[in-house]
Amino acid sequence: MTQRISKYQKFKMMNPIIQFFKYIFLSIKIMVIVAGGHGGTRNVN
Amino acid sequence: MAKIVILGAGISGHVAAAHLRRKLPKEHEVMVVSPNSNYQWIPSNIWVGIGRMKSDEILFPLEPLYKKKNIGYKQAKVITFHPEGDSSENKPYVMVEYVVGDKKGQHEKVTYDYLINGTGPKLNFEATEGLIPGKNKTYSVCTYTHADHAWEGLNTLIQEMKQGKKTKILIGTGHAKSTCQGAAFEYILNVEKELHKHKVRDMAEITWISNEYQLGDFGMDGMLLSYGSMTMKSHEMVEMIFEDRDIKWILGAGVYKIENGLAHYENLEGKFKTETYDFAMLIPSFSGHGFKAYDKSNNDITDKLFRGFMIVDADYTAKPYEEWSVQDWPETYQNPNYKNIFAPGIAFAPPHSISKPRKSKNGTDITPAPPRTGMPSGITARIVADNIIDSIKNGKESLHHKGSMGNMGAACIASAGYGLTTGSGVSITTFPIVPDYKKYPKTQGRKLGKTFGEIGLAGHWLKLTLHYAFIYKAKMKPFWWLIPE
Repeated sequence: MTQRISKYQKFKMMNPIIQFFKYIFLSIKIMVIVAGGHGGTRNVN
Repeated sequence: MAKIVILGAGISGHVAAAHLRRKLPKEHEVMVVSPNSNYQWIPSNIWVGIGRMKSDEILFPLEPLYKKKNIGYKQAKVITFHPEGDSSENKPYVMVEYVVGDKKGQHEKVTYDYLINGTGPKLNFEATEGLIPGKNKTYSVCTYTHADHAWEGLNTLIQEMKQGKKTKILIGTGHAKSTCQGAAFEYILNVEKELHKHKVRDMAEITWISNEYQLGDFGMDGMLLSYGSMTMKSHEMVEMIFEDRDIKWILGAGVYKIENGLAHYENLEGKFKTETYDFAMLIPSFSGHGFKAYDKSNNDITDKLFRGFMIVDADYTAKPYEEWSVQDWPETYQNPNYKNIFAPGIAFAPPHSISKPRKSKNGTDITPAPPRTGMPSGITARIVADNIIDSIKNGKESLHHKGSMGNMGAACIASAGYGLTTGSGVSITTFPIVPDYKKYPKTQGRKLGKTFGEIGLAGHWLKLTLHYAFIYKAKMKPFWWLIPE
């Protein structure tokens, strides 16, 4: 086993308070990317 | 009055039926034909497969919902397509066969004005000798019944490990051309986490086996993504996760035969190898259902509708990888020969893979097939529904709604462990799904910022939120249509 993710990084990944704000941020970001529109490609390029 | 028949009640079929019914006046008929009695939220199958959810938490019966919403429903499977009708029926129709009840085995012509083929893939277990869910110590999480069996198998193994047995777990793809690496990726991380919970992690050697050339390919040629303040390749991110969790990996592997506890595979070097295991979850290859189509005179016209999956407005011209472009990918999912037939979701024939095709030294094609997850399936189904609605309302063909996978974002919220405070998720978004190397030449065909990865507890909460939100949406509860696909 190789520790590729440091203990501090793991703390940040699992801290509920940090992750709560991350959850809000990710929800909005994903919504913008996914619901932000789609279309054709043949007339774009 | 128009009649729209939808084949299949998976994500794309169900989304199309829901939007058509909501937006079309009642005089138009919406009819779903599906052999399945339940709707299942497939992305949560991995939690059924680790015993953290019961299968009835991810499904609900279709018939009462469709009755309430005035959507016709036949629990039947399609047998043949007759897009010109026949000598006794002027309207186009599909021949269906009932699968339950008094009518079981009976055939019926179901006529239509518009047909949406949302039949998805056939889980082609037969393509790999011995790959049978629940046999030879191999399992699948492709359906909720498969996932139930997988949990039974895993739970038995966990009990054996508690008795002191050292075991080997093999998870990944079960064919040289499988897709859905994402589901296997989620499952391996969840299994690893569950072994910790049961305090038997040190009793198991966990190995990832995949037809990918590199980790993190996911059938999408990998991706360059933003990760925190860094920019890294998806294979670097997945490698970091696997190494940190002590998961070994075998890449470029085309599994061709399974025996009890033995997975035989050929790798890209052309070597034939065998991996032993005590528990395996291997995703099969997907294929079309082998439907036949006939014209008015009963001549076989299958090649006008199908090339494995259904032919749509893609460019199927054979050309080398270097000449592939996003323009090859379909925009409206309309069959070019019969304009009232559409195939969103997984039912359409992709023009080619997304990942760079690779052959072993023996000439075996070992390349992931293109993935089409729930999100693009839902989006393409809605595009098809909107075009049909416009066509009916305008009285002429309308194809203003377009959505190529080369101009569409997708989110893959991969669970990496279950638990409200101890869970984890790998959140990956990619834009576009099919890389556009001309538009984004310096970032491997994708837009950085919109293509990013995150690891942490928030990912688990997101996945859980999506589970409840999409089941709410599928049940067509108040304001369901505000939730995007």
